[in-house]
Amino acid sequence: MKKQRLITLMLSLLITLASTTFAQDTIKLTVAGWSSSPEEQAFLDEQLAAFTQATGIEVEFNASPDYATTQQTAFASGDYANVFYIDSSKLPDWVAAGVVADGTGKIENPDGIYPALLDVFTIDGTTYCPPKDYATMGLEYNKDLFDAAGIDYPTNDWTWDDLRAAAEALTDEEAGIIGLVTPPNLERFMPFMYQAGGALFGEDGNFVFNSDATRQALEFYIGFAQDGIGGPPSTVDAGWGGEAFASGRAAMAMEGNWMINFMLQNAPDINWGVTELPAGPAGKSTMAFSVCYGVAADNDYPEESWQLVNFLTGEEGAAYVGETTFGSAPARPSAEQIYIDTWIPRSEGTGFDAASVANFLNGAEYAKPWVLPVGFQSFVDTFNGALEQGFQGSVDAAYILDEASLVAEELLAE
Amino acid sequence: MTTSKKTKRLKKNDNLVGYGFMAPALIIFAVFLFIPIFFAIFVSFTDWNGISPFRQAGSYQFVGFENYYNLLIKQGIRQKDFYNSLKNTIYYALGVVPAQTFFALILAVIVNQKWLRRKGLFRTAFYFPSVSSSVVISLIFMWMFGKGGIVNISLSTLFPTYDPITWLNDSRGVFHQILALFGVTRATAGDWVNTRLATLTLWDWISGPSVTMLLIMILNTWTTIGSMMIIYLAALQDIPEQMREAASIDGATSLQIFRKITIPLLTPATFFVVTLGLISTFQVFDQIFVMTSGGPAKTTMTIAYGVYQNGFRNSDMGLAAASAFVLFVIIFIFTLIQRQFLKETLD
Repeated sequence: MKKQRLITLMLSLLITLASTTFAQDTIKLTVAGWSSSPEEQAFLDEQLAAFTQATGIEVEFNASPDYATTQQTAFASGDYANVFYIDSSKLPDWVAAGVVADGTGKIENPDGIYPALLDVFTIDGTTYCPPKDYATMGLEYNKDLFDAAGIDYPTNDWTWDDLRAAAEALTDEEAGIIGLVTPPNLERFMPFMYQAGGALFGEDGNFVFNSDATRQALEFYIGFAQDGIGGPPSTVDAGWGGEAFASGRAAMAMEGNWMINFMLQNAPDINWGVTELPAGPAGKSTMAFSVCYGVAADNDYPEESWQLVNFLTGEEGAAYVGETTFGSAPARPSAEQIYIDTWIPRSEGTGFDAASVANFLNGAEYAKPWVLPVGFQSFVDTFNGALEQGFQGSVDAAYILDEASLVAEELLAE
Repeated sequence: MTTSKKTKRLKKNDNLVGYGFMAPALIIFAVFLFIPIFFAIFVSFTDWNGISPFRQAGSYQFVGFENYYNLLIKQGIRQKDFYNSLKNTIYYALGVVPAQTFFALILAVIVNQKWLRRKGLFRTAFYFPSVSSSVVISLIFMWMFGKGGIVNISLSTLFPTYDPITWLNDSRGVFHQILALFGVTRATAGDWVNTRLATLTLWDWISGPSVTMLLIMILNTWTTIGSMMIIYLAALQDIPEQMREAASIDGATSLQIFRKITIPLLTPATFFVVTLGLISTFQVFDQIFVMTSGGPAKTTMTIAYGVYQNGFRNSDMGLAAASAFVLFVIIFIFTLIQRQFLKETLD
């Protein structure tokens, strides 16, 4: 009798023990992404820790430097993170590969996100993921160089003619200063295309890149390099537009929100501000660069993954992004003011005109997404290559457009 | 009878033991070499995008030789890109391999001289670039060859009329520029230059390496001379002293000894150096990845960099695998040709 009792006791003990260990077997989500600095990483870790505290779900964040390549190999092996960053330019490829879960009905309060940004992550009517943050292109200008040339600072009412006239006045060949840095990249040229009334694809989905409007914009864009009043970053020994601007050898640059932190760290003494990009014949335009939190299609914990994504990108998440930003702005207008206010104390004692940050946000209203169809990288490469030749004056705008369109039409025909 | 059976059995045992000892190496080879190679060949016959989980049903389809057809025969951007990178790679190899072989031989001979003092210092100095990381050296070169970099500054001090070259961003072909000195341009060269051979015009084919490619060629020559010099140095020290002495007793000058004795005896080393050089130049990747990403105007796009581009940026792993396999065949053919060539001189 006693023995039996003992056995029952032990058995029940064992069962309770086992059940508690099963219950303690907490869910652990993995998140893949990148981080540009330890500080940025620390802020994200803090946010993830808050999520774990609120829900009891553990989260492990894996940052990798060459993110797109790392992620591609992870997808190919079939063993990838539950939640991962998706750059807008990669979304079509990854969706086509079937690794991104459908976000329909999963995203918390989608109406609170800038519609233009939600569109970035919408393919054929399906929204896949909520944007984490975004950046738009603005026109950065070096106040010292404007003062030295004796001309007025740019305003949001500027047109192409103003831009060109200013670039002419600001160029100083002897000092090695160019008026405007024009990177040889499609995404930097595209705002001009839209400003001239051109587009990559028409309303009906036809490829309409090779139009008079685009040619006009391209002639304007390469005109800076050809006339010696601008040029690619390499003309002033820089690797990219921001570096050219920070070196003080380019009076104006067209970069995104990432410029703020870059300048605060690398060139705090330069007095500068930012305005919206100038308007072209068909009005204003800019590009929006955005990253979203995607949920894995092959996922053991889909519900928990969406819970995490909504925690990070919801109203509170957006406010946190605004407070801890390293450049990119929160994707919800509700956090706009928080973002602007964040920069004021940070830029104290530097030459940055923190009030002009708002001009980056103005772009969110009319920005076009940086997204291309699947497999369009060859088109971009061809365009960029021809554009570089255009800067050197060996080919003209019509040739560049013909070359690039030929590739695009071939890719679309497949 | 019995003894032969016994030896046979012993032999069998020996074989087993032999394979046993080789097993670790064989397994490593199989896992890290043979399986990936066969996997790559397999992928080259599919349309796999490199993203979809490979084990997932429907992530790829067999397309037969379509990737090879797109790469080599079908008119279009893929063919154009491939032949363009082939052209760049050939100019690169034809420039770098002779230069590095020549300079490595010269340096090895100098370091091997009896009268030279502080040999260790020179050997270390010449070998140093080969030891350094290619990424670091690329970055230093980018800094030196910037438009306002030290190279341009020195050149413009020496030659006041020198118009600074944007070394890192100059897509003009070197041969084109030399031709232009003689007044030959695309417009004046005649109609034959517009004839297309494998989608590129003949004018494109004769462009020579671009200025930026030339810079990478200089860099790579400089970094590889050291390792090649070591090989030559070992071979030089293998040449029996008596041979040279005998020749000099016969009245040969030192130049004659070098040409008729030293160089022929170095042929095996030359074969090795040239083969290594060819293989490494055809596979050049890291300097291009760091310095230019294939630009300006795709003039530094090499086949190996194209494999990366197709696989990871264009999401077309099938095409990437096919071009990697074609690259393998090209290297194989070139090696065979130069082997044949050197064999004749050896005989």
